Amino acid sequence: MISVNNLSFKYPSGVEVLNDISFTIPKGAFVALIGQNGAGKTTLLKQFNSLLRPTTGRVLIAGIDTSSATTGKLAQKVGFLFQNPDHQIFMANVEREIGFGPKNLGLSKTEVRQRVARAAAAVGLTPYLTENPLFLSKGQRQRVAFASVLAMKPEILVLDEPTTGQDYQEGLEIMEMVKELNEQGHTIVFVTHDMELVARYAKRVIVLSQGRILLDDSCHNVFYQPAILRETNLFPPQIAKLIQKFAKQPFEFGKPLSVDEAYQEFLKYTESEPDVCCS
Amino acid sequence: MKPVITIEKLSFSYPGYSDVATNALQDISLQVAAGEFVGITGPAGAGKSTLVLCMNGIIPHFQEGDFQGKVLINNRDTFETTCAELSLQIGSVFQDPEAQIVAPTVEEELAFGLENMAIAPAEIERRISEALELIGIAHLRLRSTDELSGGQKQRVSIAAVIALRPQILILDEPTSELDPIGTMEVFEVLKKLNQEQHLTIVVVEQKVNILMEYVGRLLILKNGALVADKSPREIVNQPNLLESIGLSAPPVSQLADRLKTAGLYTQELPLTVDEAYDGLTKSFAFAKIERV
Repeated sequence: MISVNNLSFKYPSGVEVLNDISFTIPKGAFVALIGQNGAGKTTLLKQFNSLLRPTTGRVLIAGIDTSSATTGKLAQKVGFLFQNPDHQIFMANVEREIGFGPKNLGLSKTEVRQRVARAAAAVGLTPYLTENPLFLSKGQRQRVAFASVLAMKPEILVLDEPTTGQDYQEGLEIMEMVKELNEQGHTIVFVTHDMELVARYAKRVIVLSQGRILLDDSCHNVFYQPAILRETNLFPPQIAKLIQKFAKQPFEFGKPLSVDEAYQEFLKYTESEPDVCCS
Repeated sequence: MKPVITIEKLSFSYPGYSDVATNALQDISLQVAAGEFVGITGPAGAGKSTLVLCMNGIIPHFQEGDFQGKVLINNRDTFETTCAELSLQIGSVFQDPEAQIVAPTVEEELAFGLENMAIAPAEIERRISEALELIGIAHLRLRSTDELSGGQKQRVSIAAVIALRPQILILDEPTSELDPIGTMEVFEVLKKLNQEQHLTIVVVEQKVNILMEYVGRLLILKNGALVADKSPREIVNQPNLLESIGLSAPPVSQLADRLKTAGLYTQELPLTVDEAYDGLTKSFAFAKIERV
């Protein structure tokens, strides 16, 4: 559980990036954090493992106050996947990279080996354990970074733009892995600019603008408030945009976000009014 | 229109990867005419960036490898042209703006290329203002480059290249770090440069939705081969083309496609939200109800 109370944060230069933010994320949540470039998303994520600490206010991770906890201690609770895997990978082979965290927890060799094997299998890297990460593709390096976070078995998983630099399929594969972890009980907080991904995976969306929370609601409610999204340089996924164009029509739509949901909406309409379709 | 880029039977492999199966590019032939707006897309590892590097001369001049075939820029073989000469014709914006930005402030970043071209100070001043204005970042002029957000840095890189007034602009995933409106703004800038300045634009982009809306022609690469070279409309109307390459058609095109299969969508498949809205209002009676 993450509990953020009246959090404000200023960088040493005096720039205030987060301004009086409060929210709670219960265990098992799947939350997308969205907002324009410079809204404070990454700064907020970094509060969760005390890479940054509140200027005022409080952040509690599983009851631990981040202002007194070390990043090392929080690393057991919060796994952090950075935007650029190359900022996080530093060992000469995949196995040692994934095993680095668990080894530093002081786990036994057998336990480390087990965790590495499981994490590598979960992201499809088993055949690459002896490879140097440098010689893998960017998508594969992202998986190495991801596996090294998984091997820590963190209760909370924080992902900063996990699909940037990935192609469409790789992006979906990463999100499917994240979804699976969520189903196993892990709390997920992820940042992305891809609204189609948010609509597809997140159960709750927190919209950030200039260090403040604009919206904190379900995908369906958030993406049907285009004026507020626009304030923070976002627009809804295509399907929501399309349906919003029908707002002035004498026609009742729900709040579809996926192709399938929208299809059902149109289908319903034709079924209730059998004579409406022209040919 | 005369071709500004001509690629003939180009194959390229990086050192250590010599057999055909691992060629980064495999037998690519294409021409880009002056004034075109061309998108390049495809899965990771398809050869998109390699193709761009062959166009701006980084390959063969700075990257070794096995190069076969020809690349001509304005009818001159890139082998016989220096990168410096090529840079006057082709402006390049790379994937990672941090690898491209060299100066401490935005203004100095824009001045850097111009100074290296020995342009007079008054003209440098004029071009910096013009480029910043065009890209919509005049307010960042005096800012320190290392304090900018990823999106701002990307716009600075584009402005610095535009200030050199190249004839061709090549961009490798210029919006990968941008928020949705920032992405749209970059494409609006590219559209403006293409339509008003008649700049030829080649852009590598993963976001298929935005390519469909802006480019006139789409090149799709997979495993180093050119698997499609068509207009976005032809691509969307060719069933399962994008899916078979591991890409996804825009959701509004998918929706219309499903409705069409069910006999409920009567128009040509849409590329954009606006086209989908038009198509749906024409296909469904509720729009007629309103008009009556």
